[in-house]
Amino acid sequence: MAHTLLPFVASFSSHVLCTQLLISKPHLPQFSSTSSALHRRFSCLATSVQSTSVTQFDIKQYMIEKAAIVNLALDSAIPTKSFPQSNRLHDAMHYSLMAGGKRIRPALCLTACKIAGGHEAWALPTALATEMIHTMSLIHDDLPCMDNDNLRRGKPTCHIAFDEPTAVLAGDALLALAFETASNLSSYPTEVSPDRIARAVGELARCIGTEGLAEGQVVDLECTCVSDQVPLDKLEYIHLHKTASLLEAAAVTGAIIGGGSDEQIDQLRRYARSIGLLFQVVDDILDLTKSSEELGKTAGKDLVSDKTTYPKLIGLDKSREFVEELLGQAKEQLNDFDPESAAPLVSLANYIAYRQR
Amino acid sequence: MAHTLLPFVSSFPSHLLSTQFLISKPHLPQFPPTSDAFHRRFSRLAMSAQSTTATQFDIKQYMIEKAAMVNQALDSAIPDKAVPQSNRLNEAMRYSLMAGGKRVRPALCLAACKIAGGLELWALPAALATEMIHTMSLIHDDLPCMDNDDLRRGKPTCHKAFDEPTAVLAGDALLALAFETASNLSSYPADVSPDRISRAVGELARCIGAEGLAAGQLVDLESTGLSEPVPLDKLEYIHLHKTAALLEAAVVTGAIIGGGSDEQINRLRGYARSIGLLFQVVDDILDLTKSSEELGKTAGKDLASDKTTYPKLIGLDKSREFAEELLGQAKEQLNGFDPESAAPLVYLANYIAYRQK
Repeated sequence: MAHTLLPFVASFSSHVLCTQLLISKPHLPQFSSTSSALHRRFSCLATSVQSTSVTQFDIKQYMIEKAAIVNLALDSAIPTKSFPQSNRLHDAMHYSLMAGGKRIRPALCLTACKIAGGHEAWALPTALATEMIHTMSLIHDDLPCMDNDNLRRGKPTCHIAFDEPTAVLAGDALLALAFETASNLSSYPTEVSPDRIARAVGELARCIGTEGLAEGQVVDLECTCVSDQVPLDKLEYIHLHKTASLLEAAAVTGAIIGGGSDEQIDQLRRYARSIGLLFQVVDDILDLTKSSEELGKTAGKDLVSDKTTYPKLIGLDKSREFVEELLGQAKEQLNDFDPESAAPLVSLANYIAYRQR
Repeated sequence: MAHTLLPFVSSFPSHLLSTQFLISKPHLPQFPPTSDAFHRRFSRLAMSAQSTTATQFDIKQYMIEKAAMVNQALDSAIPDKAVPQSNRLNEAMRYSLMAGGKRVRPALCLAACKIAGGLELWALPAALATEMIHTMSLIHDDLPCMDNDDLRRGKPTCHKAFDEPTAVLAGDALLALAFETASNLSSYPADVSPDRISRAVGELARCIGAEGLAAGQLVDLESTGLSEPVPLDKLEYIHLHKTAALLEAAVVTGAIIGGGSDEQINRLRGYARSIGLLFQVVDDILDLTKSSEELGKTAGKDLASDKTTYPKLIGLDKSREFAEELLGQAKEQLNGFDPESAAPLVYLANYIAYRQK
């Protein structure tokens, strides 16, 4: 397992990990490395993990299958146009929702449901909801008054393809649809009690607002305007709110729907927070090292905009070390689960860490 | 009762009422009024309703009491952040939420809960949610790319007091908070089953999205600035979605939580749609006849922007007739309920019809 290959990774200075949100890391031996030595080890680890993935669990195939299920359901999730007057809004929602994307959040939700003891399909409504929320946050983030992006997932952003008012309202409508979808009792089997559904809906709600997405984005925008670099704890705050909170909601709602215990739910919560931060650190690294074409979105933006990133604050090598650290923490949360059920989550964490786009 | 004073109001041409949304009106005697005669009758009706109000049910006092309860609950709904990374988002949300407002929607929600057989307080979470949703819709509607309003409830709009990005995100966060509040199981007594709560949450979601608020606003925006006036059926579509949908949600969620039967819920739904349309017709009339100072928002905007309104389409007198017609329809829906429980809703309908701002 990749996990056993990590003991020699230098333990990252603990003050940069917000212990409030992450469990205390296991003690790892100190290892002073030169950057080229670490780079070789990083590549070596990556190769080992990938070969392990191929023989033990095909995460790519798994993701393709889950994305197919999710895409089919999303495609028919936008309500039928009862009135010709509302075509434009529906079109914009559909455009953004079906513009591609890896569907990581829904996949995480379905998998968490299974690992917690339920059937994957039970969590489909909440899985769809997480993707709708993710999409609406992108629509609003791309707006001219926000990040002002013209390109997303290789296509014109919503306000470019339609217009700004339509994009604002499509985002609002998708958020509403997310809750409509997740709270629809008739789309769950009887095994899933209304109690669990209400609890899941509450979790979803918390991840978007002042404890989640919106908060992360506000602080991020505030920091973008400031000339000084953002301190590391604030950067982590931004990422935990902007990115990790929705992944957390995906994992936790899946686990709730699947009937997981409080202990299991907490472990999955911490797993999600680790991979959420991981996701963003990798994003920062990729933005620095890849081109727009490879990424499918505007690259090099961070450098141009003076936005604080992990590589800028702590350097590329230490960022890669941190990635390994977070990956280890994430996988540690899965130790108590049945290894076969946990395999997708382990591999998903690797996927997030080692993805190229 | 004001209801008995209305038989002589001329029945409005039926093709102008979208029967899809309103129940078929009772047959009323034809009465061709002159505008002077009608104006006298309208004033007389207003005075009669008010004098009836003062002796039989004090709607103003009722609204003040409900608003006080709601304001107190809203004020504590957005706590200061425990981690002071940023209070900006919370401040913007609180600014808009506590900027005034008649709290009509929460009042409706509480009253509907009671009329359906429950205790008023059961519906407080859902009532708060309707006001949060109403507020977020105003924040987004006021944005520069939307209606571009600088003034609301007598104060600078959210994007003016803060900035555009904060206003977009404050709206999103309020929407999230609405669902978090409404779906929070622990804020309901045991009498209110999770089943009812999920159902109520679903109703809320439906009223904001692609078949509700958002749809109405987009069609409204699309219709603004066109050289030809909007046809009457489209105008009704706009108002039923922009205004009536949320009033409907307020009433229906209250009734669901109160344990109302499907029949009762449907009647209350019909009531809400009538007063929703009524609300907007009166708004159109007031915009034409009052000043900014009296209204607390930018008046004369409709005229200036060439926006289609009822007075523009059918004239001021016929708009007033229509208002009376809708008022009658609304109150008819309440006929099957206990008169004492129904009193607030009857007088609320009058309040909406005869308000001066």
